[in-house]
Amino acid sequence: MTPNSIPVSPVTTLECRNCGAGAPVDEHFCPQCSRILALGRHGDYFTFFGLPRRLTIAQAELERRFRELSRKFHPDYYYNATPAERLASLERSSYLNDAYRALRTPATRIEHLLAIEGLPSTKTEGDSGGAKVPPALLEEVFALNEELDEIREQREAGADPAALSARLQAARVPIDRKQEEHERQMEDLSAKWDSLPETASPGERRAALEALRETLLERNYINNLLATIDREVASIGLQSPDSGLRSEDSPKTEDRRP
Amino acid sequence: MGKVVGIDLGTTNSLVAYVRDGEPRVIRDSSGDALVPSIVSLGEEGTIFVGREAQRRLLTAPSRTVYSVKRFMGRGAEDVTDEAALLPFRVGGEAGGVLRIGLGNREFTPPEISAFVLRELKQRAEEHFREQGEFDFEVDRAVITVPAYFNDAQRTATRDAGRLAGLEVLRIISEPTAASLAYGLDKKNRGTIAVYDLGGGTFDISILKVEDGVFQALATSGDTHLGGDDIDRVLIELVLTDVGGVSSEALQAIRKAVIQTKWDLSDHEQAEIRVEPQQAGLPAGYRRPITRAEFETMIRPLVDRTLGPVRQALSDAGLEPSEIDEVVLVGGATRTPLVRRLVAELFGKTPHSDFNPDEVVALGAAVQADILVSGRREMLLLDVTPLSLGIETIGGVVSKIIMRNSTIPASGREMYTTSVDNQTSVDIHVVQGERELVADCRSLARFKLRGIPPMPAGLPRVEVRFQIDANGILSVGARELRTSVEQSIEVKPSYGLTDQEVERMLIESFEHAQADFDARLLIEARNEAESVITATEKSLRRPDFAEVTGGELTGEEIAQIGRALADLKQVMSGTDREVIHEKTHALNHATRHLAEVMMNRSVREALAGRNVKDI
Repeated sequence: MTPNSIPVSPVTTLECRNCGAGAPVDEHFCPQCSRILALGRHGDYFTFFGLPRRLTIAQAELERRFRELSRKFHPDYYYNATPAERLASLERSSYLNDAYRALRTPATRIEHLLAIEGLPSTKTEGDSGGAKVPPALLEEVFALNEELDEIREQREAGADPAALSARLQAARVPIDRKQEEHERQMEDLSAKWDSLPETASPGERRAALEALRETLLERNYINNLLATIDREVASIGLQSPDSGLRSEDSPKTEDRRP
Repeated sequence: MGKVVGIDLGTTNSLVAYVRDGEPRVIRDSSGDALVPSIVSLGEEGTIFVGREAQRRLLTAPSRTVYSVKRFMGRGAEDVTDEAALLPFRVGGEAGGVLRIGLGNREFTPPEISAFVLRELKQRAEEHFREQGEFDFEVDRAVITVPAYFNDAQRTATRDAGRLAGLEVLRIISEPTAASLAYGLDKKNRGTIAVYDLGGGTFDISILKVEDGVFQALATSGDTHLGGDDIDRVLIELVLTDVGGVSSEALQAIRKAVIQTKWDLSDHEQAEIRVEPQQAGLPAGYRRPITRAEFETMIRPLVDRTLGPVRQALSDAGLEPSEIDEVVLVGGATRTPLVRRLVAELFGKTPHSDFNPDEVVALGAAVQADILVSGRREMLLLDVTPLSLGIETIGGVVSKIIMRNSTIPASGREMYTTSVDNQTSVDIHVVQGERELVADCRSLARFKLRGIPPMPAGLPRVEVRFQIDANGILSVGARELRTSVEQSIEVKPSYGLTDQEVERMLIESFEHAQADFDARLLIEARNEAESVITATEKSLRRPDFAEVTGGELTGEEIAQIGRALADLKQVMSGTDREVIHEKTHALNHATRHLAEVMMNRSVREALAGRNVKDI
């Protein structure tokens, strides 16, 4: 039951279910009769939004387009339409919402770009457990694992939770720093992709994408490390001041005083 | 096409609203009351009472009267064992199946009970439209609101209730977002809104962003078992520690008393719990003074429980409390001063309460209904799914397919294959919740994916598509990609009704509707007969009967009255209302002359200066 990426067959035209006219795959409405078109096997969120395949997107512009398209597709406005149009409205709205979610944050945006450029997903690799430690993180991961082992031992020996919690907070600092550094790196690489000229060779494009993929893998790894620290904190029974909001199983709010 | 309305189907009260000339308005009864208590009672004759009438019966027939049924929507019998102890009505049902409520000798599912409330609202609206001189007064479609944090099963149960009440449910929308629509009407502004909705039985917090008329929910959280009912229970338990175990009649009298005390404490620093002494089995005249400070100490843990979801929603929306532009209070329980104070403290601003917190949700539902049927497009509500949707994978672990707070409609896909050669079906278990293990999430449905073409293990590629529609309700479709064969899917809801069950109930409810209607007519016929008998007997027993009728009425006439009276009395207790009507009519006819004589005499005496009362 492992999810696999499905090869997307290139579909270049859609057929309007209302008038039978053909329409380019990126159209939302039939050029002939202006009815909403059924969603083809579309794959590209950027073109769906009418955006170029670039990673720098102005948030306000994305939101504006999202609202505009929502107003065009939403099932609320197809209540009296034919069943085919209602289905098309439901599919297009769902797809729009999925696309918006993916493009809204830089990391998911990169993930989508990699997918449509034909690179393997970074998700499956991160989840399989046996993921290789990214070379750039070796030092931090080694230090953290040692520290975590010691903390676990001490916890089982009944050490003072407050002291352990402080140690965990300290162990978190280099990872947090790495994460910040990483955010900047991701921005730089994104800008690099965006500035590739039209004439860039397939090799150059591929290299830029591979670099993005590498950095995304590192990012996933860093997030996993932070999640591990959070779980450790939770098992001690004390809450770190800012992690309580994130975890669903956090103890009641009144216990959260540091 | 009939009329379309918006309905707030509440835990404690329900109400109905509609839009006229672009303005939403709630429908009130002749005394100006918009709220219909969400209470249903089964009369001894089999009649169904709803609303105020059922509320009165809480004290006289508690075991035949059900309240707060919303808490049981979409739930199983094993979910409510803790609560069942304090309830005067029977709660049961098979383990792992739909919960059932026993009233008298009949059993109802929660959607059936809710359908009675919806039918009452439908009738109220129809009566209103008829009075307004509308030719086309039938109400056949509605938007019904649910707590934002309702899961798929609870939403589906609500939609089933609508169908059972003879309504086409255009849309299920969440209560806080509905409220924001009502607020958004006058202020076409932009910004972020937090809606804090503490109702009778549920708590919701929703964070919305409003721009260009698009009301986009960013995050929602809540607790479907936290509300005014719990505040009542704290006070009830306080009384019970004083008086010990009591009958269910007494329990309802205590409940009624503490609700009054709760209201008093919203306006006064001090109040008294005063239980009506005349109720059977009660400690005579129980009284207990209570200050607002004491009350607040007792309910503080309950109100604090709302803060966790509020923080969760803010965090999911990526906002700090100070970034919220407006805070809106919804739900009767937000009248409690402690709630207002804590909310104000949390957000650092005074919450809005321009609208009546009991009515604003119904108003918003009416606006949404109008958007759906009128084609007006200046506003659009984009809601989110409150809980993540996932499927069970190996080892009882949840694989999430649609994350919580995803804008709906939303869809997700999952690929399946087979593990043995020529396997033609795969079992799929769909759950909702945030936890990692299936056991900690809510089971929504199990189904078997059938019709997979026989192939070596691992070769079939079955794509299962999960679609959450704009109601927040799930549907599932599947396709084998290599052969493009559509799979048949039979979804068995874990805590809901199947379509067949709803159909059956619909038929039964028509049958019962006739029975209920018949029972009501019979009671009316008996009441009419009763009043004619009483009036006749009163006349016959007058000490001056002979004097008054002397020379006016023949002996035969008097004998006829006697016979008609005896006839009517004889058929009164029967169930044939036609015969009762007939005999009532006969007695009326027989006493007509007598009535005239009496009337003339009264008039003469009145003219003679005597007081009418003396006659």
